[in-house]
Parts: sequence; structure tokens; C-alpha cells
Amino acid sequence: MLSRVADTIYWLARYMERTQAMLQVIRIQYIASQDEPHYWGWQPLLNTYGDLSDKEIAKRAPHTPQVLYHLVFDRENAASAYRNIVQGRENARAVQDHISKEVWQSLNDYYHLIRHDAVAHQTLGEDPVSGLDALIQQGVLYVGTVQNTMPRDEGYIYLKLGKFLERALQTADLLRLNQHLFATENESVAGAPELRYLLYGLLGYELYIKTYQGHLEARSVLELVLYNADFPHSLIYSLGQLLRYCERLKDKSRPESYEHLRFLIGKARTTVAYSTLQDQKGEALEKFLAQVRSELLDITTALSSSFFGNG
Amino acid sequence: MPANTLLTSYQEHPQVWDEMFRAEGVRPEYQHFAAAIENLAGLEMTRKDELAKKLFMSQGITFTVYNSGEGIEKIFPFDIIPRIISNSEWLRIEAGIKQRLKALNIFLKDIYHQQFIIKDGVVPAALVYSCPQFVREMMNVSVPHDVYTHVAGVDLIRDHDGEFYVLEDNLRTPSGVSYMLENRSITYRIFPDLLPKSNVLPVKDYPALLYRNLLALAGPQTSDPTVVLLSPGIYNSAYFEHSTLARLMGIQLVEGRDLIVHNHFVYMKTTKGLEKVDVIYRRVDDEFLDPLAFRPDSALGVPGLYWAYRKGNVAIVNAMGNGVADDKAVYCYVPDMIRYYLNEEPILKNVPTYQLADPEHRELVFGQMDKMVIKRTNESGGYGMLIGSAATEQEMDAFRQAILGDPRSFIAQPIISLSSTPCYIDGKLQPRRIDLRPFALCGPSGIDIVPGGLTRVALKEGSLIVNSSQGGGSKDTWVLGG
Repeated sequence: MLSRVADTIYWLARYMERTQAMLQVIRIQYIASQDEPHYWGWQPLLNTYGDLSDKEIAKRAPHTPQVLYHLVFDRENAASAYRNIVQGRENARAVQDHISKEVWQSLNDYYHLIRHDAVAHQTLGEDPVSGLDALIQQGVLYVGTVQNTMPRDEGYIYLKLGKFLERALQTADLLRLNQHLFATENESVAGAPELRYLLYGLLGYELYIKTYQGHLEARSVLELVLYNADFPHSLIYSLGQLLRYCERLKDKSRPESYEHLRFLIGKARTTVAYSTLQDQKGEALEKFLAQVRSELLDITTALSSSFFGNG
Repeated sequence: MPANTLLTSYQEHPQVWDEMFRAEGVRPEYQHFAAAIENLAGLEMTRKDELAKKLFMSQGITFTVYNSGEGIEKIFPFDIIPRIISNSEWLRIEAGIKQRLKALNIFLKDIYHQQFIIKDGVVPAALVYSCPQFVREMMNVSVPHDVYTHVAGVDLIRDHDGEFYVLEDNLRTPSGVSYMLENRSITYRIFPDLLPKSNVLPVKDYPALLYRNLLALAGPQTSDPTVVLLSPGIYNSAYFEHSTLARLMGIQLVEGRDLIVHNHFVYMKTTKGLEKVDVIYRRVDDEFLDPLAFRPDSALGVPGLYWAYRKGNVAIVNAMGNGVADDKAVYCYVPDMIRYYLNEEPILKNVPTYQLADPEHRELVFGQMDKMVIKRTNESGGYGMLIGSAATEQEMDAFRQAILGDPRSFIAQPIISLSSTPCYIDGKLQPRRIDLRPFALCGPSGIDIVPGGLTRVALKEGSLIVNSSQGGGSKDTWVLGG
């Protein structure tokens, strides 16, 4: 497969996974902002998914429709959902002969949906949850279309690598954003609402309730998000999937490139797998998450230089 | 019973050859088709028209217009009424194009080697050397099997007397063949059963023939040659065609940045490392192909490609430097080339052409500018031209000044009143002007022309410009079997 094609497909997957993750988090944040008397504000999300200065953020943060516009629909914001979707579709257009026609059409529909005024109007003027749901649903349709129609060839492997790398990065970033919840020793209930919204944002609340029988505590939440192999948004799950798809590249790449990539993914996975909750108290968690993040970035660099010819 | 007015209400232009109707009624090649649509209610035709539009949109058969930063995709307008050509007429067109291409191919070899045609005084040296598309770098370069014009899209028009004329030979990177293929695949969806019953010859062999020719250009020492299609990328207006052809032939669609030249061999960068490339079907113009040999600011090409080509390490389709035979002033000499190289009389006529570098011609043309089409010799796509009958005094003056400044770059032709054909517009049949671009493939084993081509339509009422960039559309083109 051409390096450029692999690169384009990989980024297509990353853009779409990123869109999905951020829309879900924005949706939950919005619900929290409505339902929570001591709501903690939009600042952290504006920092993560926006390109505004601190002054601008302070100015906009109290106005929910403005925030939603900037994060989801703003064509000037390079990190908005709109720009992600446009980028994803542009990538798909460049590799149309390597993805199935159905995948192309689902991305094309997604693009037309977010360009259409109706959904922006609904999100900003009527019920934001319905508007965001419509977008999220189109994203889910894309995921299912990939699953159902893409041939399991090299292109599919790069789609999966992009997807799970992005997911691992998003999970790690979301944890970093919320690390104050895990910092304190005393397990008071004060952090409980925030913990619940963190789980909602990762689509893990139901699994948590089933696993830990309704008792919401920071340690268990961290355990689920880091180590639960059945939880599709846990770090260990994403890293396991990365390893799985990387191994399918064995006969499709140069031996030295493959060995290097396999080593780096194995290393990141080991970093997570052989850590314990005991080590993750206070500042140690921040250090640990920073290490995971940098090891994930090493993987992206290796892919870019040895497989996509950008080295 | 309400009379069906679809056919009877058709108003053809006087003084214009109509492809479907003549004074006595429907022409024989259209009779089967006319009988089939005669009994359709008007509503049903409209439904077919809508179905065609839907099929084009959902299959993404679009071209991109970049004018406001963000690309807008438009469908290439398609008219559902096919253009039909009888078998005997087609055989003449086919023979005429083959003859022309044979002569043009020899001309290109000659002009880049011994130049007998100049020495014998048939074509003036000044004309060839003043042509900006004459590529000096191609002098004495041997191309595989001496084939230069692998893919040609010859533009034909029909005058009011029914005679076909060649307007342009398009020997560089002609486009439109994907629309020929897609138009056919839409037609059999909207007119079920009509194609086999009318004995229409198929066009679907085009990708296979092209691929066969491309493979044949790889050196005999390569057992499993790699053929690629080189595209300028998704921002090119013909990108849809590039990706369609690559998909139909099962070859890689590459961009300049995917290729590198090492030791005068061309490689593509893959996830498995470098892979040697043997044949490049390029849809990038000459001047952008290699920044080291041609335009240094080109980001679409591959540095070093020219030397790899020159050494015979890679085959490039079409050959570099074909533009010299495509020049509209050189075009005047094609009938002479046919006589000189083949010792035959031309089968297809040229449109009479005045070279404005000649003072006598210039005077003649300036005297009757309102009856002339004036064109730049090296432009295409309907740009850089003036149609005298529709031009203002001011526009004519501007052209006069430009011609006097650089007479070599202009030619003039009498206005040919293109033939018309019925189009289904606003619920009724209306005459619109058309041309015809059949696609010819030259390979080591000879010249093949799939029976058909792209019929382009000037959708604006009364317009003579059929180019898609200027509001043109297209029709399916049926060639009937013998």
C-alpha cells in the first residue's frame, strides 16, 4: 500500500474517533451544566478543544450557546467538530479507491449533516442534546459501516490503528483533565457527581455500576478506566487492540519497521499493565499519565516515519 | 386519446443539421429509439430525468469547482436523450481518426528526430520552433515502440451539410472518458432493455484496452510490471476520472509526492518500502512533470523523472512534448502530414484555418471578424477564444491588439454551426448544439477506438461552447452495430 494512502486512512480514523469522543464529552458536559447546582464550568473543555486565549475563554465560558458554537460548529476553530469532520471527509475523498463506497457515503452524509443549518439551529437554539445526538448517531453509523463493509486488508488495519491510538490518547487526556478527582486521600462524596460525568463521558457508567454495585469511588473509577479489559474505552483495552492490529502488519511491512512498532506498542501496554493503583496517588498519577501519553506519541512518530514515509 | 407531443412539438433550428430529425421525419438510426419513447407520458420522461440526476449524485460522479476556498462538488450535467451514430458513419469516423493519429504519431517521431518534414519544406521550421509546447528536451529521445499518442480524444463537429470536421486532436492528456463510461451505465438504468434491442455497441472495454497497452510498454525484462496513474491530486477538477480509471484498471493512483527517482529508476513509497514503477499513465501536464527539467516551482511532479524517462527506465503515457502536434497553428498542416507520411488523402476534413502570422490572412480575418472564431493556439477548455458573431466591438478591438502584438499565437476559423440534437429540458425536447469526442488508444499492436465517445452539449440555448467549464453537459453516445 502507498505510504500516502496509509497515512490518509490512518488520519481519517483519528479524526473520526476524535470527533466521536469530543461530541460525547460535550454532550455530557452540557447535561451537567443544566443538572448540577455546583457546575464546574466550561473552561477545561475550551482549553482542550478550542484555540482561544485565556481572556477569550473567561469571556465566553459563561455563555453555553457560544461555547457550543465554538466547540462544535465554528469553522474558524481548527479543533472544532466541524473541522474534524471536514478533514475526515477530505481524507476519505483522497483514498476513495481504498475504502468501501458505503464508508465514503456515510462520511459524505456526515459532512452534509453538520453543514446543514438545521442541526446547528437545533443545537444552539432549541435542544442541544437532540442536536448533538443527531451528530453522534451519524458517527456511530460510520463506525458500523466500516465494520460491515470494509475488506479486512491493510487499509482496515491502519483504520484500526488510528482509531485505537486516538482513543487511548483521548482517554488519557480526559483522565488528566480530571486528575484532581483522584488526588485526595479521603474518599468524600463531594467528587461523586464529577466522577459520574467522567464515566458518562467515556460511556462507562453502566459497566461501572454493574462491576462495583453502585458505590461511586475514585479508586474504582480509575481502576475501570485504566485496567478493565472489557471496557472498550479503558487504556488497557485500546492498547490491546493496538497490539492486535500491529501484529497483523507483520508480513505487510519491512521487518525492522514492524519490530520497532511492535516494541513501542508493547512497551506502552506494559507501562499500563504493570502499574498498580497503589502507585497512582497524588502527583504520581500525573507523572504516570504523562508517561503513557509520551509513549503513545512515540508510537505515532514511529508510524509516521517508518510506515508513512514522513521521516 | 391525448396525442403525445414529445416528438411532434420539437422545433429544430433552420440551417442547422439535426442529428435526430430531417425534413422527412426521424433519421433511420434514431427510429428505434423514437418508437420507444413515443409512447411515454411526459411525466415518465421527467421521472427518468430525475432518476438520472439521483444516480449521478449518489455515486459521487462529480467534478469540483474551487472558487470560494471550499470546494463545491457539482454533477456534470447529463441529458437523458442519447446521441446515436449509424454504423456506416462510425466506420468512416474510425478510419479517419486512425489515419490522422498514424500520421500525427509519425510526425512527432520525425519532429523529435531527423525532421524530414521540415527539410522537405512541408511544415515551416519557424512554426515548430516557435511553438511553446515544442519540448527541446525530447530531441533524440527514443520512446518505447515509437508510440507518442497513446491516448487521444479527437474533437469532431458536424457542419450544416452533415459533414464531420476535426476541430482538435487533443494529444496531451485528454479527459472525459470516465463520463463516457458512466453515461452508459446510467443509460441502461433509465432505459431498460433499449440498449440490447437497439444493437448498441459496448464501450466497457476501454479500461481493459488501456491497461493492455500500458502493460505492453514495460520492458520485456520485467515479468510483473507496475503500472500507476499519476494524478495532480484531489483538488484537480478531473480527480473523479483519475480515481475511476485507476479503480477500473486495478492500478495504484499516485501523486507526485508518492514517487521518487533513485539512480534513474522511479519508485513509489509504500508501507513496505520502495517499489519500482515501470509505466506511468500521467494526467499531469508536461511542464509540471519534473521540476528539475521543466517548471522549477512545480510541486506536482517528480524530480528526476525526465532523466529516468530518457534512459528508458520508465515509460510515460502520453509521451512528453506532444503539445507541438496539438498546437492550433500546426493543426493546419495535419492534412499535409497525412499526404506526406502516408501518401493518402485525408478521410476527415480540417476546419479551414487562417494563421494570423500571415499578413494576408490577418487582413482577411480583420475584415470579417464577425464571421470568425479566433483562438489562441495553445489554449483549450473554451478559454482564450472569441466568437465573432457574439462579440462586442470592444472585445474585438482587444483581440485585434493582442493579435498584432503576437500574431503567431492566434488562428481564426469560420464559425461552424455545430449540429444540434434534441435534449430533454424543462419537460420538452429542445435542440442544443453538440460535438463528439471519441477516445483512441494507440499501442504497440495498433490503434483501437471503442465505438462511442463523449458527446458534449452546449446546454445554454443558442450557445456554441460545449466545454464543461463553460456550462456544457454531456450525453450518452450510441454507435449502432452493423
